[in-house]
Amino acid sequence: MTTRIVPIAGKTAEIIETVMTSPDVPQDEGLRFKIRLSVEEIAENIVTYAYNNGNGFLEITTSLDEKGVLTISFKDAGVPFNPLEKEDPDITLGLDERPVGGLGIFICKKMMDSVSYVFEDGCNNFTMTIKTRR
Amino acid sequence: MEVIINQEDGKTYVKLTGRLDTTNTTAFQEDIEPLFTMDNPDIELDCTDMEYTSSQGLRAFLMLQKSVSARGGKLVMTNMKPQVREVFDITGFSTIINIR
Repeated sequence: MTTRIVPIAGKTAEIIETVMTSPDVPQDEGLRFKIRLSVEEIAENIVTYAYNNGNGFLEITTSLDEKGVLTISFKDAGVPFNPLEKEDPDITLGLDERPVGGLGIFICKKMMDSVSYVFEDGCNNFTMTIKTRR
Repeated sequence: MEVIINQEDGKTYVKLTGRLDTTNTTAFQEDIEPLFTMDNPDIELDCTDMEYTSSQGLRAFLMLQKSVSARGGKLVMTNMKPQVREVFDITGFSTIINIR
């Protein structure tokens, strides 16, 4: 299922609901928690940083394969940005050294089974997958 | 996210109910503003009914912990749901915020 949202300014909640109401997304509460959280972190990033003034599109695609692997993809034509290039935060730092922020993509990486990014045909493509059957 | 703050015998009890996400973190930060200014803070955040937190929510809790520590106070988060706890665990927040 593919949904195109344009413009995306202020649409983080709508992006999350688009994914969470997709028939490809399972009903299991634990999985839904992980999916919602991961989608929120990515959506918030794209809405905030991809376009000047959020004045562009986002295409969201969900699919479920025969093995029960759910794939969620985000495509935008904004500023080229690979969120996976960013180094993971040091989660062993104490309170005083701990920077405030920079956790969103890291949480997504931890919650999903795989995340990937490719810049293709002028678009950012960010894809995450999670097994829905164990 | 509903926030109810109660003062009792020098302790501050805060009941958190609902989801803390990108749509309401700013409102949440305003709701907990009193916790950033009180003297000798001794705060318990009751997380029994906190359903969810995104990284923005974590950020708000980290800022609160930093502020409470700077004032020599105490902060504890109690009865966290396992899924919410997992978010605190994977980000290392469980080691910098007292969770019980």
